[in-house]
Amino acid sequence: MTEIASAPVMGAAPGRTGDRLRLLWHSKTGRVGLALVLILALLALVSALGILPNDPITQNAAIRLQGPSAAHWFGTDQFGRDVFARVAAGVLNSTRIALVAVGFATVVGTLSGVAAGFYRGFSDVAVSGVTNVLFAFPPLLLALALASVFTRTWFTVAVAIAIVYTPIFIRVTRGPVLSLREVEFVSAATATGQRRSAIMFRHVLPNITSILIVQITLSLSWAILTEASLSFLGLSTPPPAPSLGSMIYEARTLVYVAPWTMIAPGVLIVAYVVGLNLLGDGLRDSLDPKNRGTV
Amino acid sequence: MLRRLLANPIVSRLISSVGTLAGVAVVVFIMLRAIPGNQITASYGIEAAALTDEQRAALLSYYGLDKPLGVQFFSWIGNIFRGNLGVSARAHQSVASLTAQSLPVTLELAIWTIILSLAIGVPLGMLSASKPDSPRDAVGQAVGLAGLSIPAFLLGTALVTVLSKYLGFNPNGAGYAYFTKNPLLNMQQMLLPSLVLAFGIAAPIMRTTRTAILEVRSQDFIRTAKAKGISTRRLQIRHVLGNALVPIVTMTGLQFGYLLGGAVVVEQIFSLPGIGRQVLVGIQQKEYAVVQSTVLLIALGFVIVNLLTDLAYRRIDPRVRAQ
Amino acid sequence: MVARKRTSRGIALAAFLSAIALIATGCTPATTPETTPPTQTADTNKTLVIGVTSEADTLFPWKATQFQAVNVMQTMYGTLTEFDQNLAVVPGLAQSWDVSDDGLTVTMHLRQGVKFHDGSTFDSTDAKFSLDAIKNPDTAAVAAASLASVDSVDAPDANTIVLHLSSPDAGLLANLAVINMAMLSSDDTEASLSVTPNGTGPFQFVSSVPNQSLTLKRNDSYWGDPVPLAGVEFRVIPDETSIVAAMQSGNVQMAVFDDPLVAQTAASSTISIAKTALLSYHVLQLNARKGPLQDVNVRLAIQCAIDRQQVLDTAAMGEGEVTGPITSPAYRSDPSSRPCPTRDLTKAADYLSKSAYPSGVTLDTIVSQGEYATSVNEAQNLKAQLADANITLNLEILESGAYVDRWMAGDFDAAVALNGGRPDPDGMYSRYFTSTGNLNMVAGYSSDTLDALFAQGRQTSDPAKRGPIYTQISNELENQAAWIWLFTGYTYTATSSNVQGFIPMANQSMQYLRSTQIS
Repeated sequence: MTEIASAPVMGAAPGRTGDRLRLLWHSKTGRVGLALVLILALLALVSALGILPNDPITQNAAIRLQGPSAAHWFGTDQFGRDVFARVAAGVLNSTRIALVAVGFATVVGTLSGVAAGFYRGFSDVAVSGVTNVLFAFPPLLLALALASVFTRTWFTVAVAIAIVYTPIFIRVTRGPVLSLREVEFVSAATATGQRRSAIMFRHVLPNITSILIVQITLSLSWAILTEASLSFLGLSTPPPAPSLGSMIYEARTLVYVAPWTMIAPGVLIVAYVVGLNLLGDGLRDSLDPKNRGTV
Repeated sequence: MLRRLLANPIVSRLISSVGTLAGVAVVVFIMLRAIPGNQITASYGIEAAALTDEQRAALLSYYGLDKPLGVQFFSWIGNIFRGNLGVSARAHQSVASLTAQSLPVTLELAIWTIILSLAIGVPLGMLSASKPDSPRDAVGQAVGLAGLSIPAFLLGTALVTVLSKYLGFNPNGAGYAYFTKNPLLNMQQMLLPSLVLAFGIAAPIMRTTRTAILEVRSQDFIRTAKAKGISTRRLQIRHVLGNALVPIVTMTGLQFGYLLGGAVVVEQIFSLPGIGRQVLVGIQQKEYAVVQSTVLLIALGFVIVNLLTDLAYRRIDPRVRAQ
Repeated sequence: MVARKRTSRGIALAAFLSAIALIATGCTPATTPETTPPTQTADTNKTLVIGVTSEADTLFPWKATQFQAVNVMQTMYGTLTEFDQNLAVVPGLAQSWDVSDDGLTVTMHLRQGVKFHDGSTFDSTDAKFSLDAIKNPDTAAVAAASLASVDSVDAPDANTIVLHLSSPDAGLLANLAVINMAMLSSDDTEASLSVTPNGTGPFQFVSSVPNQSLTLKRNDSYWGDPVPLAGVEFRVIPDETSIVAAMQSGNVQMAVFDDPLVAQTAASSTISIAKTALLSYHVLQLNARKGPLQDVNVRLAIQCAIDRQQVLDTAAMGEGEVTGPITSPAYRSDPSSRPCPTRDLTKAADYLSKSAYPSGVTLDTIVSQGEYATSVNEAQNLKAQLADANITLNLEILESGAYVDRWMAGDFDAAVALNGGRPDPDGMYSRYFTSTGNLNMVAGYSSDTLDALFAQGRQTSDPAKRGPIYTQISNELENQAAWIWLFTGYTYTATSSNVQGFIPMANQSMQYLRSTQIS
């Protein structure tokens, strides 16, 4: 039974973690992506620990709109705040919003998706019903409503984004589980009388982890872009807490006077999204059994 | 007999689609009323605070807000079944006639966007797949990556600002021209917004194309065809692309459905009077009838596209079809 | 509060010797009367295209509060009195008027030969019908409260109306000049006018396409000077950056911005920007009926802990002037006559230690997002400055609907607001700071002293005697720190170089479109 269960289906490639990392490192895209993401994570960490020389929120009217210098690497904004400290805090903010949103979406989405695909019946009808409604709903209206109903904090923004992304995880997992259900080893496990929840957690879930890992990485990048777009519509984390999206939004009118206020958050956001996409690609390649022979 | 009918996948999909629309109707109705403010505060602003109780009562009945929520909901639904989508008190037009003006704009934008993104994404995907891990693959992938990573609002704002400031090119500054009235100006106005949207959508299409082609090419019948001595060019177009087309079409369908409600930021930047802006302005003005009926129409479009995609999916995956 | 471009700025009937500063060449100088002979020949076949971010939300003048709606109405409808470019009251559809010695009877002589756009004649029946309907609560007219002192209206003959007042009202003639007091034909209804406007103004309605444009044409039978423009199109371009782009590419010839940085990006050799000081004022409203702000010493501590110039510099790039309560030009408050005219943290600490909250206070502060450009920036700077005085602002950034709901209910300790000013100080503040004012609940402060002063001002018609009364009111408001007045800003009118004759006004009225021409 165990032998059958470990047979790779759907590119599960349950090789050892060390092998996977080696594969990831050998793909050039994965390497670049990992490096970018690590650098930005380090920046967020430094900001979280509060060991930067400048505070992201303290205002100093005497040094408004100064260009980059040794004291202020990315210059200052219209309140005399240090742009470097602000983008670092912005990366932290984007990161925690993306992590919470995608974390929530992964757990809720995957469990519902697996349950729906595996058990079918009523749970499938219910889960698919809710998913379909959320999918058919224009995301902007959803975000606007959530932003207006609750007092806005980074957490409520994360929940709003999570609600938009949960159906994607449901879709992504339900399909493969639906297929897996008909595959021999699962039918075999069912035939031998194993409990269904045991089959689900022992045999089905591990077989979709690679799909999930890739989906999580890509969703993180979408979540960061979504947060930025919400900020553009004035719906994200309220000031003075810095967020990359709202920094771009606030800098829109300053761009001719103080271009650094726009360039710094703009470049960082694109770098972050590029890094996560590359990492996702690298992971996909390294987790794909077809590529295993190439290393 | 009835049981047989219900077991038919198409019939059951239709039933679940109706359920989806009912769910959307309930959610949009509740959500709109959960947003603080109503049509009185939206149109009077802070002057609403200066209204006397008598004035307020007169306005509540004018806007139909004095009826119980249940009555409001069912009279809306009832009217929809009678073909009446409601009236915009602001524009003094029916929602149906507002939509008749805005839907063609968004549909046209979506069609141009899909054409452009296919024109960019498919050749790029083929180029990438033609020699994986080569420089040309890298170029293709880089373009795809840029499409995924650059926010549409950033690209759109930059294009409008730069082109009009330095080249004086800004067809969208002229009032919107419908295709039937001035096709030349209309196409110019659609050019930049559909390009911005297509840049983002070409990326997933390019990736899907690349993966699908690599997948198809590794299959037996292609090897057989190769062994039979069919020319590479013909092989590429006829057999590989032909077989990779299904996932590409599926992906395209999904993106088209998304564009119906998801182009609002681009509509905003390029002043296109599309359906996304109809919803946005409706929300700002708290015109419940406009938002409810328009969202329901967008959801209907999405459901139809989804239905077609799902049917395609059932045809593709033999494991599901076998059920 | 009317901070909202959508609402109250339009209502702000201001009057002001407008200081029109020129920041670019080719602006219309403030002294140019509308009759100045054109330097270039006017082309009377040209239509002016004005770029606007949102369309008028109603076409019915009695209910228009949104900035854009008020602007459109101003071109199509007429009022009994009008403001001139200096915001002095001048004749409109009433050619002249007499006020009885006791101030209780106002007789207005109507202009003869005025026609509505549909060809019917304007007479006293229409004027009486309009004033009666505005007073009727069922109409829900915005200006109903401005006619509170009017008991009844008579129409003794076709060209005369008589207003009988319950008490003298020095602000009445200015109140009649607002577009919300537009004269409508007694044959029309709200339903018909919302589809086909029918007024006496210089332009008449042609068509309106939702979310796209509203088009007007010249009214050839307008009673004033002949209108040079063949028509006006208000074109909806939702994004301000895109309006600038449309001006640069020549598709749009005129636009009004409230953000100095946006205006700056638009300025070029072919586009000139005129900067006009506004009557509306930026303020931190305090709710003195709730929590720690009931204590006058806490309010005075806030008064002393704020450097208003710094708020102006950081939030609005220094584009504006520090102000006291009254911005009406003839009665303007002296901003240096308040407690702590400059920031004084020692005094702030003194006041706080004298209060019931010596260790500091936390205030729930509501801020609207998106209604005007500087709101969130002001809030951020106020929070940073007050933190130095142990006063914590707990900022709640709200979508406009949520903000208006909370504001109306008085559900806040403090509110960052941009309120409309008016040419007459009674119209500007009695609704807020008298105990019977319809916005007093929102203002959060009233006193017997203020009630008495406002009553005195209303009954005094001699401007020389009114001045000192309003100075007292202004000082009382500052000494009690009822609110924290911050600054007044500018509006920026961008026009292409071939557009002449437009005069921007401090109340942001676009009435001088009637003298604008394209060469």
